[in-house]
Amino acid sequence: MVALLVRLKLTLLRNSLRRSAWRTVGLGLGGLYALALVAGALAGAVALRSTSLAVTADVTVVAYAALTAGWLVLSLLVFGVDETVDPSKFALLPVRAAQLQPGLLAAALVGVPGVATVLVGLGLLVAWSRSVPLTLAALVALPLGLATCLLLSRAATAAFAAFLSSRRFRDLAFVVLALLGAGLGLAGNLLGGLVSVGPSGLRHLLAVVGRVAGWTPFGWAWSLPGDLARGQLLFAAAHLVLAVALVVVLWRAWGHFLAARLVEPVEGGGEATRVHGGGWVERLYPVSPAGGVAARTLRYWRRDPRYLAGVAGFLIAPVVVIVVTLTGPDSSVWPAVLSPALMALLVGSSLAADLAYDGSAVWAHISAGVAGAADRLGRVMSMLTVYLPLLVVLLGVAFGLTGRWDLLVPVLALTAVLTLGGLGSGSFVGTLWQWPAPPPGASPFQRGSSGGLPALLSFMVTAALTTLVALPTVALVVTSVFVPWAVWPALAVGLVTGAGALWLGVRWGGRRLDRRWPEVLTAVSERVA
Amino acid sequence: MTSALSLVGLTRSFGPKRAVDGLHLEVRAGCMFGLVGPNGAGKTTTLSMATGLLRPDAGTASVLGRDVWSDPAAAKALMGVLPDGLRLFDRLSGGELLHYVGLLRGVPPADLALRSGELLEALGLAEDRDTLVVEYSAGMTKKIGLACALVHAPRLLVLDEPFEAVDPVSGEGIRSILRGYAGSGGTVVLSSHVMELVESLCDELAVVAQGRVLAAGTVDDVRAGSTLQQRFLDLVGFQAGGTGGLAWLRSSSASS
Repeated sequence: MVALLVRLKLTLLRNSLRRSAWRTVGLGLGGLYALALVAGALAGAVALRSTSLAVTADVTVVAYAALTAGWLVLSLLVFGVDETVDPSKFALLPVRAAQLQPGLLAAALVGVPGVATVLVGLGLLVAWSRSVPLTLAALVALPLGLATCLLLSRAATAAFAAFLSSRRFRDLAFVVLALLGAGLGLAGNLLGGLVSVGPSGLRHLLAVVGRVAGWTPFGWAWSLPGDLARGQLLFAAAHLVLAVALVVVLWRAWGHFLAARLVEPVEGGGEATRVHGGGWVERLYPVSPAGGVAARTLRYWRRDPRYLAGVAGFLIAPVVVIVVTLTGPDSSVWPAVLSPALMALLVGSSLAADLAYDGSAVWAHISAGVAGAADRLGRVMSMLTVYLPLLVVLLGVAFGLTGRWDLLVPVLALTAVLTLGGLGSGSFVGTLWQWPAPPPGASPFQRGSSGGLPALLSFMVTAALTTLVALPTVALVVTSVFVPWAVWPALAVGLVTGAGALWLGVRWGGRRLDRRWPEVLTAVSERVA
Repeated sequence: MTSALSLVGLTRSFGPKRAVDGLHLEVRAGCMFGLVGPNGAGKTTTLSMATGLLRPDAGTASVLGRDVWSDPAAAKALMGVLPDGLRLFDRLSGGELLHYVGLLRGVPPADLALRSGELLEALGLAEDRDTLVVEYSAGMTKKIGLACALVHAPRLLVLDEPFEAVDPVSGEGIRSILRGYAGSGGTVVLSSHVMELVESLCDELAVVAQGRVLAAGTVDDVRAGSTLQQRFLDLVGFQAGGTGGLAWLRSSSASS
């Protein structure tokens, strides 16, 4: 079964590369990036061999605990997990979750992140192969640690996907994601502290962080060789027991969610899904094709887990920034008051991914002959409906907590130009290229729901265009630091250039859609011809 | 008289495979027209090109004299389309989806409310109008798709496999809706693999295989004295036989 699933993964990977140039380029870039990381990690491991046992212990624990936490955080917040071998496809076959698990885990290792993690993990062996007992300890720690990485990302994403698709737990899942973001902020703050303490304090801080990290679930397995090297046999035994227990618990939890997917591969059954017939959503918008698109996308913001994950994505970066600034020793308030502008920068790229999220259902727009500009405008309207209240709350929080109301006008100028310009850029960039995204029922943590390379590129181009639109306003805001009255022209220029960019984006994007509707449909359809 | 649907030399390739190969088809107004063919014959590709969802490599398609590819807005306004294999906005309820398509089509709100109610009633979906489309069965999904194709009162209906997965009772309901529509001057083009259905429902038909029209005309012309099933098998070149294989599948030979 293991060999079969790994072969299946390889076959699927090869076929997807053959079908899409995007994937090939993405794999190449990812591979290069991973190669650099692996080379750096291994060089570091070799260098550690010439340091003391204590330093090696602290550094390895911190680094590998960070790697493990990275698997959790990145798979939850950024990349999702690779489900090339989709477990729900096995629903019709007479197999149990327990039979699939080893194979799925092995298949998860096939791919750039898996291979890179194993290679980086080998650094532990390199660093600790100083005596037979230490080598043996590293040999025990390595598979435990690697299993923790993979299982943690699988179990956590499976649990969150289940929560997000169930109405009861959806809001809870948000709170947890937000807390995770805040936790990231605190961790970032701690790292910021590292820089300010200087070399002598650094060694002390490393020891403290190492001790703390070793007792978090992320560091249990990786602490084994270090404990042994220090002669702390009791600690080593405790870490071993905890690490094994964690792997067992994660294995069971993952198996539980996997078993659920094998009997109910289609998400959404079982719950009462009747919706209220009230047309208040429609009354928000004009009676027109654009108004219809706005009402429909607004409903999707609430009903489609992928959009919900998107809202969480908007909020996490500003929340992290605010937490870092307010808890940090550094007293500059600029990052906190600028966090609304940061959120504004993310709005456009969400708009740019909208057509991919529609998938082949967008044929309804094409068949109805919806003008491209109406499609663009409708999406902008619903995005504003979701985003403006968030923005007001964030502005209130950022300024309420810092009390720097004197900075409100320049921040408003930046936020206005980034929001309007971002919506314009997103409206245009979204029509340049599209990609097939998994359907709405799929887990939002499935890899590819973030869209891979085309989505990343779309994000970067949108952000770059938005920044370009904002440049004059930014220049005026910077000037206002020296010439206070410049904030008012900054606000005016921000509003005017932003509105202009929005108008142009809707117009150009609309024209491009009018010319390319059928090609858009082909690009977003799941079954690419 | 202009044809309701006129396809001239339509061609489309996917990589090395030519899915539709210089296809010609004329459908007169007021006709119930069936498009039949084996799997992979190019029916869906043809209908996609005829409805503006897939750009042809060569050839033209026009609806009541309006070219689909040079004047898409005018041609699309005349057409109601039910494609096969494309998703719907299934996080909307049936009622919301129908309302949405009506808004996209520019149906006046007063008409839209009236028509939505009547369509959902006629197709037996009134009970489920507030249920999300993703929860619908395959047959109900076909029916709500059909309602969406009808809501703007089109002159030409293009339906890809409209009866697939639809139960006999709803199927009869759809048939009578389509007959009434064609009787009042509307034109229906539908594709199907079920010969009996096409034989009983359609006035004219075309047999398509490997991207070409093998035979077209009234049902009687194409049948040419035989049954439609037999004529179809002859036309697409089915070789009967091969009954010797799959011996292991016969339960009588299983060692039980």
